[in-house]
Amino acid sequence: MPGKGLLIVRQRSLIAITAALAAGALTLTACGSRDDDGGSDSGSDGTTVVIGVDAPLTGELSALGLGIKNSVDLAAKTANKDKTVEGVTFKVEALDDQAQPSSGQQNATKFVADKDVLGVVGPLNSSVAESMQKVFDDAKLTQVSPANTNPALSQGTKWNGGTKERPYKSYFRTATTDAIQGPFAAQYVFNDAKKKKVYVIDDKKTYGAGLAATFTDEFKKLGGKVVGTQHIDPETKDFSAVATQVKSSGADVVYYGGEYPQAGPLSKQIKAAGVKIPLVGGDGIYSADFVKLAGAAGTGDLATSVGAPVEDLPSAKEFVANYKTAGYKEAYEAYGGYSYDSGWAIIEAVKKVVEDNDGKLPDDARAKVTEAMQNVSFDGVTGKVSFDEFGDATNKQLTVYSVEGGDWKAVKSGTYTG
Amino acid sequence: MNGVGPVEPGEGTRVWDPAGQPPPPGHRQAYDRLSAFCARHRRAVPAAAAAVVLLAGGGYLFATRAQEPPAAPYPSQAIDIRYLGREGPPAHAPGGSFTFAVRVTALSGPTITVAGISQPYAGLSLTSVPKPPFRTRTGFGHKIVVTMNVTECANTPRNAGLPFLDVTLRNTRAIEDHSYILGERYAHDFSDALQVACSNDPPSLAKRWNAAEIPAVRSAGSHYADRTNRP
Repeated sequence: MPGKGLLIVRQRSLIAITAALAAGALTLTACGSRDDDGGSDSGSDGTTVVIGVDAPLTGELSALGLGIKNSVDLAAKTANKDKTVEGVTFKVEALDDQAQPSSGQQNATKFVADKDVLGVVGPLNSSVAESMQKVFDDAKLTQVSPANTNPALSQGTKWNGGTKERPYKSYFRTATTDAIQGPFAAQYVFNDAKKKKVYVIDDKKTYGAGLAATFTDEFKKLGGKVVGTQHIDPETKDFSAVATQVKSSGADVVYYGGEYPQAGPLSKQIKAAGVKIPLVGGDGIYSADFVKLAGAAGTGDLATSVGAPVEDLPSAKEFVANYKTAGYKEAYEAYGGYSYDSGWAIIEAVKKVVEDNDGKLPDDARAKVTEAMQNVSFDGVTGKVSFDEFGDATNKQLTVYSVEGGDWKAVKSGTYTG
Repeated sequence: MNGVGPVEPGEGTRVWDPAGQPPPPGHRQAYDRLSAFCARHRRAVPAAAAAVVLLAGGGYLFATRAQEPPAAPYPSQAIDIRYLGREGPPAHAPGGSFTFAVRVTALSGPTITVAGISQPYAGLSLTSVPKPPFRTRTGFGHKIVVTMNVTECANTPRNAGLPFLDVTLRNTRAIEDHSYILGERYAHDFSDALQVACSNDPPSLAKRWNAAEIPAVRSAGSHYADRTNRP
């Protein structure tokens, strides 16, 4: 209501003038006031809490990894600037896992050894997460991934058989799982894109193989046909043999479970073999680098990714603006909003623990932070952030993107409300 | 004693520092310098302070000036649609149909209109009560009863894991097609209903209903403007 707004502005003006006059009066009397015996500098004897970040900061997946690191850094800076947790200064320490499980495990051990680390954001890859979970859980050190989508990480290996069991209490994630992403992609490909014969390829890794499986399962249930399957070696970039197999299969679409460093060249080589059909993948190929690697022939390729497009979310406006202002060199990429929210979830948990302990961190801060994470609830960049009984995000949105004009464009979003 | 003392200390009115607690020399020197400065510039200091007052007040007023209201959220980000369960069929529902209810709740922002409800499967058609378009009231849960008619068993997903309901939403910000994945309970009820509806019919069954009677299933198109996530 405009009238009410005007009233508020007037009230603010009065407050402003009063405050300014008070400041002026204080300035005027300063010259004549008594010295009050010096006093003491309150000092900054606060506590430093380290938020670890584990992601691929070098190598082929570094575009996604650096977006994660920068976004967590922004969360920490925002909390420090706003003094979100009184007496606590957050510091981010990022380690490079190079998308390798062994490096991820070493990094997890390093984080555990640093007593100032009270939470870790990451990793990007589900296979890396598998190697880290136990190390963190043994130390009761909370871990929040903005990007892992393999369902087994939070729901156990028997999740698809109806027996969901959370393996680690310290593991949380803000991203939606492939239990939804695969079927979501299958529904779009079959019903909207009208593709009925799929050739399924994966990179044999935890994420890629798992996603390809959930896609295939739903595609078949819908009445689609799987006309061929193949695994690729992620260490190679020569996919000419598989491109030939796709050509002879009569497929009208290719589904690839894996990441963009392989997906880009694979798409390019399939089209070069004369097969003008779209390649579809998951969040692992939703990167600007995929578009570069696939080249002009990649137009029409599709990807699903977690969440609604960040630009669509009213809650993300400030994040986008602040990220730009902060001047990070790299884009926030697919997981920027989720990374900020992951970092902020840790900050909220630390805040709860500190407030419950008379403004100080308790001796068993890690265990307390992990406990507090389960009940964290706040309005984040990606919407409401909270975790269910498995540590999975309660906010489950997905979007289909298509390569058009040399960039990804959102074509359809979905929300899981089950 | 009226509580108002001298503005400046007069002779003999100065409160001396307690013995044994002399101020630090540096601090004392700074204070003396400030006092001397004030004494030398008795006119300039108030003028400078007044300027500070004006600047501070002006700055504050500028910072708190009336600003444009924030843009409305995209409708899909301000609405919740939940599966309620199976319902009895409406009075004149054709055989092979099944009925369920969803609850639509606009959570925030300006009025959201449900401009259309559809489903993506070729062998089904859909009607709802109330019939779109209809407006939602923010904060109020609207019960929508949806009836699906099986038109061609061969083109129905008998065992879909996560079937959609496609909803077109409109508010002052945008018009959007958004898929709602209503969860496992909906998937289960949906599959059961299709199994029953098509139980006596071989998969190759021809169309149950005359195609002319069937409302066309709307396909969801892109509604998004160009965007990039570059910082």
